[in-house]
Amino acid sequence: MIYLDSAATTLQKPPAVARAAAWAVDHLASPGRGGHMPARRAAEVAFACRQAAAELFGVESPEQVVFTCNATHALNIAIRSLVMPGDRVLISPWEHNAVTRPLHALGAKLLVAKAPLFDRKGLLDAFEAGLEAGPAAVVCTHVSNVFGFILPIGEIAGLCRRRGVPLIVDASQSAGCLPVRQEELGAAFIAMPGHKGLYGPQGTGLLLCGGREEAFPLLQGGTGSASALQSMPDYLPDRLEAGTHNLPGIAGLLAGLRYVAGRTPEAIGKKESVLIRRGAQGLARLPQVRTFQARDPACQSGVLSFQVAGMDCEAVGEALSRRGIAVRAGLHCAPLAHESAGTLEEGTVRMSVSDFNTPAEVDRFVWELSRLTAASRRSH
Amino acid sequence: MVYYLIVCRSLTYAQRTAAALERAGITARILRSPKLIDREGCSHCVKVAERNLTAALVILNRAGLNPKRIFLQAEDGGYREVGL
Repeated sequence: MIYLDSAATTLQKPPAVARAAAWAVDHLASPGRGGHMPARRAAEVAFACRQAAAELFGVESPEQVVFTCNATHALNIAIRSLVMPGDRVLISPWEHNAVTRPLHALGAKLLVAKAPLFDRKGLLDAFEAGLEAGPAAVVCTHVSNVFGFILPIGEIAGLCRRRGVPLIVDASQSAGCLPVRQEELGAAFIAMPGHKGLYGPQGTGLLLCGGREEAFPLLQGGTGSASALQSMPDYLPDRLEAGTHNLPGIAGLLAGLRYVAGRTPEAIGKKESVLIRRGAQGLARLPQVRTFQARDPACQSGVLSFQVAGMDCEAVGEALSRRGIAVRAGLHCAPLAHESAGTLEEGTVRMSVSDFNTPAEVDRFVWELSRLTAASRRSH
Repeated sequence: MVYYLIVCRSLTYAQRTAAALERAGITARILRSPKLIDREGCSHCVKVAERNLTAALVILNRAGLNPKRIFLQAEDGGYREVGL
């Protein structure tokens, strides 16, 4: 199978990830819950993972690295920490349901910084105008999970800093393949999954906390600390980590972080960008296919959406699956992004790559799609 | 042997504290705090030899790490809090 759905989850991982997770099942207990060796080893692995993340993402202290179940969990904590019911919140037009649903549940009033797809300047102008309305917070994805649009997050962070508006960054599609530095962004929170560009197991995520804002504990419970008190500890990471940790996941994530740090996000992102341009150029030669490709390659990550005229996007995904190619079709849990691009009715098919894909795999994907579209033309 | 126990606000803080001391060549071991000195229930401390306490405090101060409390662990097993 050729796996081109890494924007959902990377399937091919460095071999060390599975080894570390399997080893953890047999050897690691619960960090902070005992003085015995399995608990101490678990604490060492958890700390090493926090340190590795802090170094990779420019976080001042490992205490500001919080383990979560996934990016959605991290975003929910961040949003609940900064947004009160009825608050105005400024978001980009490319947000995932992981952002819009928690905001909707809170009854937040959404201000969308509208701009055309791949228009960085227009987006910045829209954010600048949106900040005039005095939002309680800004939530912005770094990269669109549907179109691979790399948003100018550094500049957006600068606008927020100048206005004193706290920023939540959704780094779900950028962590591991683009530079993401907490110290440079000055964001209140940065949320990311462990199982995508960081090559960890599913069930892992990270919330990087700026440390200035009080964090809201979504879960209450045991932390192995201050147990005589009935309120959650007021310090990180304990405040946000109630219950037993996913140590097999964390051990695997540590191996993934080490892989990414060794390769560097810049090198991984460059490789993915080359693969996506190759795919886009191949698809552009197919008459029925419409691709959503940035003119400036620096604006697009390893994600590419396309549509096939006369074919339902889900049917295309199914047909490619039968030909041994894994892509994702539909709305990609991001109806706002599709609405913003004008693809809400039809959806798109998305190919997304990782550091483990090859040019030959991309060429095979294009070839299979060309056969599929040719067959579709004949049947019409 | 007499030891000092540097009580930390969290396990992660204790790990940062121990790492800073180990980097400076001071042996530091993380322990769960003895119940007798643990006011809030469940905390972690870093154990250092008596001779290393002064140097340890200098290193922690430079690293911006603030011990919550410090106890002297006497040879008879008793604990006495040391003013910071």
